Parts: sequence; structure tokens; C-alpha cells
Amino acid sequence: MGSNPLVAISRFRFWRRIGPSLLLIGAFGLIRLSKGALFSEIYALLTRPFWPGTSQKEWIQSGAYFEYQTRISLLEKDNKRLREMLSLERSSNSFSISAAVISRQPKGWWQQLELGKGSLDGIDEGDAVLGPGGLLGTIYSVTPKTSRVRLLTSPGSRIGVWISRNKRHGILIGMGTNRPQLRFLDTDTKALPGDVVSTSPASTLMPPNLPVGVIQSVDNEALPAPNAFVQLTASPEAIDWVQVQEK
Amino acid sequence: MFKFHKRSLWIASGCLVPFLNLFAPSFLSLSGVGPSWAVLWLLPGGLIYGSTSGVVAGICLGLSLDGISLGGASHIPALVGLGYWWGRLGRRGRPIEQSFILGLLALIGTFFLGFSLWAQTLFLQYLEIGLVINYWGLHTLLAQAIITGLLAPMICSWLLLLWRRRFSL
Repeated sequence: MGSNPLVAISRFRFWRRIGPSLLLIGAFGLIRLSKGALFSEIYALLTRPFWPGTSQKEWIQSGAYFEYQTRISLLEKDNKRLREMLSLERSSNSFSISAAVISRQPKGWWQQLELGKGSLDGIDEGDAVLGPGGLLGTIYSVTPKTSRVRLLTSPGSRIGVWISRNKRHGILIGMGTNRPQLRFLDTDTKALPGDVVSTSPASTLMPPNLPVGVIQSVDNEALPAPNAFVQLTASPEAIDWVQVQEK
Repeated sequence: MFKFHKRSLWIASGCLVPFLNLFAPSFLSLSGVGPSWAVLWLLPGGLIYGSTSGVVAGICLGLSLDGISLGGASHIPALVGLGYWWGRLGRRGRPIEQSFILGLLALIGTFFLGFSLWAQTLFLQYLEIGLVINYWGLHTLLAQAIITGLLAPMICSWLLLLWRRRFSL
């Protein structure tokens, strides 16, 4: 039995009408699935001549020296404690990669940075991103030549931290504001404004003892657990170069 | 029928929107928050090309903007709604050309987009970490709506003129 030519014609017209729209939506769907890799790569290629020079990179490296001094003393204490308790040795000889910031949105609906280095340079999802002063955020996604950083202030950011003075652990949660919230895991926090917050040595997702910020205010009455607001020590708003530290 | 040749300039310029979002020029920002380039592009396009094109453009633009952001909240629901609304508005009565009306439509559109993103973010935060009461989105919402509303009379009027001339060819 042959098909009705009128039906075939109307089908052809229907697909001719909606086909281009479906193709367009499909193409953009692929871009969405690749987390905008095409746009990021083209943007990196187009803006390469305007990337920041190396003078700030050198300044960051000299600033990083002082930061390492603090970290070394924290690591020594941490190592001593672990050796005493568990005879456990945790290495933090991570490898750092310098990367230029090619796009920044420290305010707005998402707080993110775009870096000019990606998976071909050894950057992976979840790597720690440091600026002068301490931790800025973590790598959210990578393309071959670019990577996207979720700042600590961004909603959805969560990292394990601790206060080395009293060894209290908590989770630092990005709230969209300049000051992320620290939710303690213990009810008895003994935390005070001015305490230094650093990444937790118990975390398997982040290198230990990276400086994060300073406690600004503590709410011991909060439920289900006490919380605090943390002033970050690294500011993403004026920075042109960052260090990406492998896990 | 969806005539690509009449919309080619509109579609090609739409591909620039994600780059403008990434470029985020600081001289075009209010209190650190830039304008909503998606609204500035979708408004004149919707008014000229109608609601079907507006909806398709809203989906495509939403997908690309979701791709270059950190995930969680999506642009798509609000941009589809705005594309449909502006498409219907453009096909009714006299063509909208006045600077004040364009600025007002862009302001309302940015508010709508901002509320949609804020509400989705708060809902996701509620699911993940419980009820969070903070007004962080209010600053972004107001700053983005004001800067977009101020830029719309200049940018949208020019785009309307450009695209309308090509559409009527």
C-alpha cells in the first residue's frame, strides 16, 4: 500500500519548518553539555594578546614566599600531631602551576574566574586555586586550554576547613556574599574573632593547611551547629595571576 | 517558515553574547555588576522576529550561558518567558521604538531574569544546606537591572534599526 503523497508533503513541510530550530537548539545543547568549552577556547584565543604580563606573576611569587612561611609552621605542627597520634605521614609537596586570569566575575549571580591554562597544562577539576594571601577557590571545569574557578564566595562552594589554634573542624560554605559562612562540626567551638582558618588536614579533596581567612564573627547559639563568618585573606577582584595547586 | 537568511545577523550577533559575558567590561558595570547582555540582545530580536523565534533564541542563549557559568540555576526558564512575551508584544499594535519603553522593558526583563536565578539558587541552597536567609541577590538584582535599563535605549534602539531594516528586505 503506497503512502498518501499529501501526508508526505505535509510531513516534509513540518520538518522543514521546525528542523532548523531543532538543529540550532541541538547545537547549543552540545555547547551546554561541554560546559561552554567552545566559547571558552575561542575567548582565550581572541584575548591572548591582552593577557596580563609577568610583572604581577613575580610579585605574586614574592608574596607567596611569606605565605609559605606560615604554611610551613602550620604543616610542621600538623605533621608532629599526626606522627604522634597515628604515625601517619601526609605529603603536601604539591605541584603548582601559574595561570593568567582571562575573565573574572567576582560579583553577580556566579562568582567565578576563567584561567588561561587547562588540562593540557596539567590542571584538573577540584584543584586548589591560590592568590596572594591564600585560597581563592577550586577548579570547577577544564577545557584543553582554559579552566573555570568556583570562588569560595560563590553559592555552591563547600570546602573542609579547620582552626589550627583549637583544632576545630567545619565546612566553609559560599553564600554569594563577600564573607562565606563556616559551619562547625562540633557544638563546642571555642572559636574567637581573629582566629585563622585554613584548609583541613582531614580533607582528601584539598591540600592541607592552605590559608583561607580570618574569623570575623561567631554565633555559638546557631542551630543545628554554631557558625561563623569568615573574611577571606585573598581577594579575586584585582588579581591577574593565580597559582593552581594539584591535589 | 523559519527564514534563516533574514535572521542571520541576529543569530550571528547572538553568538557574541557569551563572549561579552566572559569579557565583562568593568567600565560598563555598576557596583561591580555588569549588564545583562542576554536581555539587551533578546529584547530587540523578540520584538522584530516574533514569539516563536524569541522562544528558540531564549533556549539557545540560555543553554550557552548555562554552559559558561558555574551551574546550578539556569537562565533558560526566564529567557524563554521573555522571548515569548517580547515576541507577542512586537506583533501587537504599533512597533515599539521609544527609548523609554525599551529601557523599561529591559529593566523588567532583567528583574525577571534576576528573580528567576535568585529563586533557583536559594532553592538549591535550601535543598543542600537548609534554609539560608540572606539578601545577597538583592544587590546584584538592583545593580544589573539599573545598568541594563540605562544601556537599553542606546543599544536596543540601534539593534532594532539594524535588524528591522534587514528583516524587511
